Amino acid sequence: MADEDEGNEYRWETGYEKTWEAIKEDDDGMLEASVAEIVQRAKRKRQAERRPNTRLGMMRHLYIILDCSDAMSDQDLKPTRQLCTAKLLEGFIEEYFDQNPISQMGIIVTRNKRAELVCELAGNVHKHVDIVKQFAQGPCSGEPSLQNSLELALSSLRLLPGHASREVLIIMGSLTTCDPHDINVTIQKLKAEGVRCSVIGLAAEVRVCRQLSKETGGMYSVILDDCHFRDLLLQQVEPPPAARTQDSSLVRMGFPHHNRIGNESGDTTSASNNNPMSFCMCHLDVESKVDSSKLGAAGHLCPQCGSKYCELPVECRSCGLTLVSAPHLARSYHHLFPVDNFQELDAKEIKVSDCFGCRRKFVEFDKHAYKCKACFRIFCLDCDIFVHDTLHSCPGCTSTAKIGVST
Amino acid sequence: MHLIFTEVETSLLVIAVDLHSRQRYLREHPSQLMHVLDSVVTLANMHLMLKTKNKVAIVGCNAARSDFIFCDTDAIQPQPGQSGQSGLARQSDGQYELFAHLETSVKQNIKKFSVDENSSFFDDKDGESLIAGALTMALCYINRMNREKATGEKLNSRLLIVTGCSGGASQHMAYMNVFFTAQKLNIVLDVCSLDYELGLLQQGCDITGGLFLKIPQLQGLLQYLLWVFLPEPPIRKKLVLPPPAKVDYRAACFCHRNLIDIGFVCSICLSIFCKFSPICTTCNTVFKPPGSLLSKKKKKANKNVC
Repeated sequence: MADEDEGNEYRWETGYEKTWEAIKEDDDGMLEASVAEIVQRAKRKRQAERRPNTRLGMMRHLYIILDCSDAMSDQDLKPTRQLCTAKLLEGFIEEYFDQNPISQMGIIVTRNKRAELVCELAGNVHKHVDIVKQFAQGPCSGEPSLQNSLELALSSLRLLPGHASREVLIIMGSLTTCDPHDINVTIQKLKAEGVRCSVIGLAAEVRVCRQLSKETGGMYSVILDDCHFRDLLLQQVEPPPAARTQDSSLVRMGFPHHNRIGNESGDTTSASNNNPMSFCMCHLDVESKVDSSKLGAAGHLCPQCGSKYCELPVECRSCGLTLVSAPHLARSYHHLFPVDNFQELDAKEIKVSDCFGCRRKFVEFDKHAYKCKACFRIFCLDCDIFVHDTLHSCPGCTSTAKIGVST
Repeated sequence: MHLIFTEVETSLLVIAVDLHSRQRYLREHPSQLMHVLDSVVTLANMHLMLKTKNKVAIVGCNAARSDFIFCDTDAIQPQPGQSGQSGLARQSDGQYELFAHLETSVKQNIKKFSVDENSSFFDDKDGESLIAGALTMALCYINRMNREKATGEKLNSRLLIVTGCSGGASQHMAYMNVFFTAQKLNIVLDVCSLDYELGLLQQGCDITGGLFLKIPQLQGLLQYLLWVFLPEPPIRKKLVLPPPAKVDYRAACFCHRNLIDIGFVCSICLSIFCKFSPICTTCNTVFKPPGSLLSKKKKKANKNVC
């Protein structure tokens, strides 16, 4: 079971759990309220587990290793494991780049005992989503090779500068792996390089995967169903604590001017004279006619060498400078300065009649209310979850001049 | 977008009004406040008039607090003691009940702010207006409206800020969180600035796809609001509106608050510095000195791979 500790016990060896006793009927004999409460408790529990102020690996470099073996055409996930995985991965990729804007991702596919690098480390959402869509149509055959794919990922990850966070996420449908040598040697190499390997198993627990994730400090979980699969993937979106081997350093970055005249849609006719037309660097080597380099005045100019790019963040091809925009960096700040967890109160004890955030009146159905420890405002459960999961700043604290002045 | 007129669609407009008494127009002509409020109330009424199911909420903020001036819980309960009066107003000129109600509750709730202002005005003169706080509350409110809407109903929400203040640097983080949340929830953020070009809010408009307009004349506020900010975002494409502002996306360094082109970023906390410093002032990390030959070689190798 996924949530199991590193202990030696398997779930079937532990004490007898009466799981059904957690569910209680309410006065009308309905279960819904009780089930909803369990779901909400789980959500809050996950919030509470997040520890603030740990040093995070913000510049993530993640390789996704996708199993494309026979086992992926099984139909236990609907319609097949492969299609379901592809669909969930698309969501994951978007969320990953949304939350980790200056991070990179690469994709490795393994089938027929080989590993193939289908996408090198890059920061382009659309490209990755396209590749995952292709993967959904590709064939599934043979056996996967865990060692080959790990070696391939490692060969690229070991070249990264010391401050980068190196990660591998393996999605394994197969219960077997076909490896050329002793995989333990590879695991030790990964450990030495500080690569964090997490595995999501689609079938059942495999010892070598557990060993791999345990040694490298990653997570190992086996899915229960597609919802659980999605949850497990989304857990990987949060940046992990920085590895011990990871150095810290100041990285030189460029903040390009937003050289935009006229419309965002690349309205080149209205370009003014002081911005000469030019080709962008990012599409220079794209051969397709549809997507070739666009001539225009709009774009982001590298402050060091003046090359033009249509999208940020990107690494300048001519001078190697990382180009970002200020909001990209700001987008990651909430990981570093999260909102403290709210204190749970009994709804009967509170004096205010409505939630400070959304102005909903507290009704009898509400069992709990939540109080911010800094500004002492009272919130409803939905606002509590919204503030911590999405908004990342407390409405009470931001709308009080001196925190703690009033209740 | 083509289905827009066939689906059951409603639109929620949340207006954040800046009531800070240090705004230039208020210092010069305090009576202008009524002009601005009347314009905002008219805009709200016009929005309600476009469709029967449209919704409006108004949030106010000054340097001391931010709070709802008008929202749906106001609408459910007429104020105790005042119910007779508002009923009377409804009777007298045959005005649509909601309009009369909106106007009376705005007038009542605005008093809270002026009382506040009097008590904290003199000790907190230079505090910034807490627009970011008002926006976070607005987002919570929109989130609830989204949750409570009937199935099959589509709710388009947008935010409009009306402010005459400058700056906002002290709430930078809260603003950014608001912008990204709005972007995620497909909420358009519009800004109607009465006085200044606001760099931070311009970024917000650009991120969420909204409009930034600094109005040339306060006298014409209502016209600008109705022409530019009343139409829904899908309709705006068909209108000739002021061109999008040129947004400056350069970063300000944490050490001197200068805008920089090339800077150093801490790999742990992503603070921005304009010069190399051995210790990060935000997270106290000690850095390796740069420029050693080894790290350069590594970087080059890295470049070839990527």
